[in-house]
Amino acid sequence: MNVTVALSFTLNGKPQELDVPPNMTLLTLLREEIGLTGTKRGCDVGECGACTVLLDGRAVNSCLVLAPQVAGREVVTVEGLAPLGTLRPLQEAFLDHGAVQCGFCTPGMLMSAKDLLDHTSEPSTKEIREAIAGNLCRCTGYQQIVEAIEDAARRKNTAR
Amino acid sequence: MKPFTYIAPGSVKEAVAALHENGGTARVLAGGTDLLLEWRRPGVRMPAVVVDISRIESLRRISLEGPDILLGPLATHGELMRSGVIRSGAAILASAASTIGSPQIRNRGTIGGNIMNGAPCADTVPPLIALGATVTLSSADGTRECHLSGFFNKPYATIATGEELLTQVRFPALLPGTKASFVKLARRNALSISRLSVAAVVSVDDSGLITDARIVPGAAHSVWKRTMEAENLLIGKAPSATLFAEAGRVVSAVVIKETGRRWSTEYKEPVIAALVRRTLEKCFTDNDGHPS
Repeated sequence: MNVTVALSFTLNGKPQELDVPPNMTLLTLLREEIGLTGTKRGCDVGECGACTVLLDGRAVNSCLVLAPQVAGREVVTVEGLAPLGTLRPLQEAFLDHGAVQCGFCTPGMLMSAKDLLDHTSEPSTKEIREAIAGNLCRCTGYQQIVEAIEDAARRKNTAR
Repeated sequence: MKPFTYIAPGSVKEAVAALHENGGTARVLAGGTDLLLEWRRPGVRMPAVVVDISRIESLRRISLEGPDILLGPLATHGELMRSGVIRSGAAILASAASTIGSPQIRNRGTIGGNIMNGAPCADTVPPLIALGATVTLSSADGTRECHLSGFFNKPYATIATGEELLTQVRFPALLPGTKASFVKLARRNALSISRLSVAAVVSVDDSGLITDARIVPGAAHSVWKRTMEAENLLIGKAPSATLFAEAGRVVSAVVIKETGRRWSTEYKEPVIAALVRRTLEKCFTDNDGHPS
């Protein structure tokens, strides 16, 4: 039995090389080994979306990815959105629209929104709602979140 | 999750060799959206060896080859939804894939996993059977191709041995004049498991008469099957509300006959009939078949 496997991947733009037990999830690797706790552990069964990260540019539940499966691939967490401490327009829009209440769902919401905005330049309200359908917000601030993402898309298009 | 030996082969050859070496006791991992849940359930019997096929690039393809669409088992539900090949040649499959889980699940979950897991609620299987799909199984001994309609023994069990790897799904792209649709009944819009579903593919000739029909109810039988009794009823007739309602009653009767009358029958009987009627109507109003 291999106790650990060597893993190298790109995390928030920087190369990572470490040994991981094969039965570890990407979520546990990020939070407990690497110490990036922005990604949240909610349901741990792929239903709440709090653990959403980007894997090769697409939103995935990090609780349902085996850590060794990200070998050679690119992972972006919420920490990767503002590496220099300057918020992105998407994050600014969340603040401006009151889209952050308790904040627990926010990292996952941001990552799902980023996947959408990276692939769709003018998303409709329906597309925005579908993009965050896998992210639960128990404060039920969905309307503000949808408005924030609509605004972020507009800001992105104006800046272009 | 209990420890296991992890193998990540880079090719199909290496993967089937690993399955062979472990005498069929290894488990194949693709997107992991089903297996990572299963392996963390208390008391589950964990496989000693996990063969992660997710690095085998050749298993990702979605392509058109002559009249056929070929899918690698690693094609994700999200890729199927967005693929031009699928949207123009088998939109019914793109529609079914779009109803699975959430965007995050669809970006990981694969068509191969959906088939091999064999859950009766798997949403890509009814459309694939209606499309006439075959699957290719590869092992150290060679390959064999089987019809998906005969692939499942019972819920969560297929005819594939533990040494065989699903390496391809193949079906003919829908021809002009072919109509198709998929309807799913679930408790909510996102992250929902099918309670019942229906896939239908219907061909019509120039005079508007139905020349071929395939109706596959999902999450209804213990293994998926076409409802020939209802298909035969449609062939040679002009589409009409009365005809579709009658086909719905026939499918419902066939399902109830097989499953026997039980506590849920009172609900299922009218619901299956209505879902089939709606699916057939949708073929002619909101077609997911050939665009012409």
